Amino acid sequence: MRTDIVRMYKDIHAWVGIVSGLALFIAFYAGALTMFEQPIQRWASAPADLAEPVPLESVPALIAATRAAHPESARSYRIHVETGPENPARLSWDVGGDREHGPDAVYGTALDAAGALETARLNASPVGEFIDVLHQQVGLPFDHEISMPIMGAVSLLYAIALVSGLIIIIPSLVKDMFALRLGKNLKRMWLDVHNALGIFSLPFHIVMALSAVVFAFHDQFYDAQNVVVYQGELEAQWSQDGNAPEPFDPQAQPLPPAEIVTRAATQAPGFTVTTLEYRAGPDGRLGGRMMGYDPRWGMRGPTYGLVGFDVYTGEITDAAYLPGHQSGWAALVTSFFALHFGNYGGEPVRWGYFLFGLAGAFLFYSGNLLWIETRRKRLTKRHGVRAQSRSAHILGALTVGVALGSIAGISTTLVAAKWMAGHVENLAMAHSWIYYLVFLASIGWAFRRGAGQGGADLLWLCAFTTLLIPVTSLIALLPFNGGLWTWSGPVLLLDGVAAIGAGLFAAFARLTRQRALKGPRDSVWSAHVHEAERAAACPPAAGGEAPAPD
Amino acid sequence: MSRARAAAALTSRNWLPKASAGLVLGFALALAVSGLFAWFGPGGLFDGAGKTQVNMWLISPIWCGVLSLCFLFRSGRAAWIWLGTATLLAFALLYGGRWMITSGGL
Repeated sequence: MRTDIVRMYKDIHAWVGIVSGLALFIAFYAGALTMFEQPIQRWASAPADLAEPVPLESVPALIAATRAAHPESARSYRIHVETGPENPARLSWDVGGDREHGPDAVYGTALDAAGALETARLNASPVGEFIDVLHQQVGLPFDHEISMPIMGAVSLLYAIALVSGLIIIIPSLVKDMFALRLGKNLKRMWLDVHNALGIFSLPFHIVMALSAVVFAFHDQFYDAQNVVVYQGELEAQWSQDGNAPEPFDPQAQPLPPAEIVTRAATQAPGFTVTTLEYRAGPDGRLGGRMMGYDPRWGMRGPTYGLVGFDVYTGEITDAAYLPGHQSGWAALVTSFFALHFGNYGGEPVRWGYFLFGLAGAFLFYSGNLLWIETRRKRLTKRHGVRAQSRSAHILGALTVGVALGSIAGISTTLVAAKWMAGHVENLAMAHSWIYYLVFLASIGWAFRRGAGQGGADLLWLCAFTTLLIPVTSLIALLPFNGGLWTWSGPVLLLDGVAAIGAGLFAAFARLTRQRALKGPRDSVWSAHVHEAERAAACPPAAGGEAPAPD
Repeated sequence: MSRARAAAALTSRNWLPKASAGLVLGFALALAVSGLFAWFGPGGLFDGAGKTQVNMWLISPIWCGVLSLCFLFRSGRAAWIWLGTATLLAFALLYGGRWMITSGGL
């Protein structure tokens, strides 16, 4: 490899990395958490004021009673084959709202012991969705139409960063790949870690970059293709698979849901149905869609595949997104989605993606730190004084503020889910406020205290807020729990992982504090930086005069 | 090899004209190639809505690839000229091939 190419791509790598790194950090940290969106949802959802769900066999009676009491539910409703804390009712329907922001309210019904209808507003927590949107919009609070193009631009920079990073490392690949020079030279160690993470998770990152570009720009891509490729007839492309629906007999009765599930099992063995969705057409005909999963295959949705079925015969009518039953191109497209979502292969892959996501966040964090250290070396060479530039100080504070602020913000807003339930009307709005307040306050704090001290403080904040997750669950076990609740079962894992995370943040906090106090004083990580800066505030000459006090 | 050595060393200094060529023409080229794939790739234009989606996905890797590697051009001028030529060629193939199909030539 020509050295000028390597040098050029080193510059490019540094700059695209610095521009996109912090947004990517948030996307990856939040994205890693979305691998457990369902447990998070369960952890955060308050118990509903409803009797136990009726058995699947009794659902027709439930539907009839619900329809009599709430005629508006007949237009569109869901039967939850699998119920749980996040889906406490067997039958639910949405009220108000729109596609992008979700419904204004969700209601569910049950039958009590005497067979009388119970109706309750369901309190499924919006916090899982909040974290997911944070992931999709790389942490930006704007509307979808504004956030997504920015996310797309970040993804393009991310793609350049991957290619340039690969080009840089190729010449020394064999030498450096397995090298982890732990020890005195901290920068060397960080670089080795950065390189090792980058190389070993490269396929994962290629998948994420290419799919994120599509997620950001698919509308624009289709619009452009509609003009230059399909001659304005994109619609004809979409309708080419459609088979005309059978003629509708208004006398036909829908099959009971239990029967639908049984017939689905024979048509699609291995596919576990979780939800049946019903929607009435203008002529009164019910259309059906089932959601479910099959761990042996990748799926088109983040946690589910979709199947269209005939409500009256139980026949599967649209298997385009039925995991394992797709053919050719559709299967290929589903594999792109599945590779992004990590929804193939069950729990091991889920955990793998969780760890790869966290490793990705760390990759971007370490990239920023390396940028800072590289600039220190360059300045030192140029001016002969060991010093760090103003930009390094700003970037150092920004890096710890944004990265640790997003971690602490997510933990805080997650904890708040349990404390706010029942006291706050607009939970989604409250989660957003809490997150961004903690996030922005963290950035402010990092600038006030400098990267070194501020970083240690914020790591303690991360440890504390993350520890509140299991602590909140523990408080719910106390006799006077103030209305808190806790769920048993697999959701305890979330408390466990949070406890481990809190421990790790605390350990990092101690290390960072030590470095701030005992490490090199000319580093942005030093606690003594502020004294030096104050001395440099009235510099005798321009540039890099901040002296080390000793 | 000797030509490569004779050429002036690449630097990151003239990144803007190169990157803008990669961004604009990289997208145009990806669009044209996706069109070629849609019309003349396996299965042809009507091979199910799944293929329509694959055609769209194809833009991403091509665009990202051109955008990442456009810095290897000697200059911004070279990037615009080479990528512009490639894009024009791809569109000529797309429209020419389409004309041959629709006019019954094939």
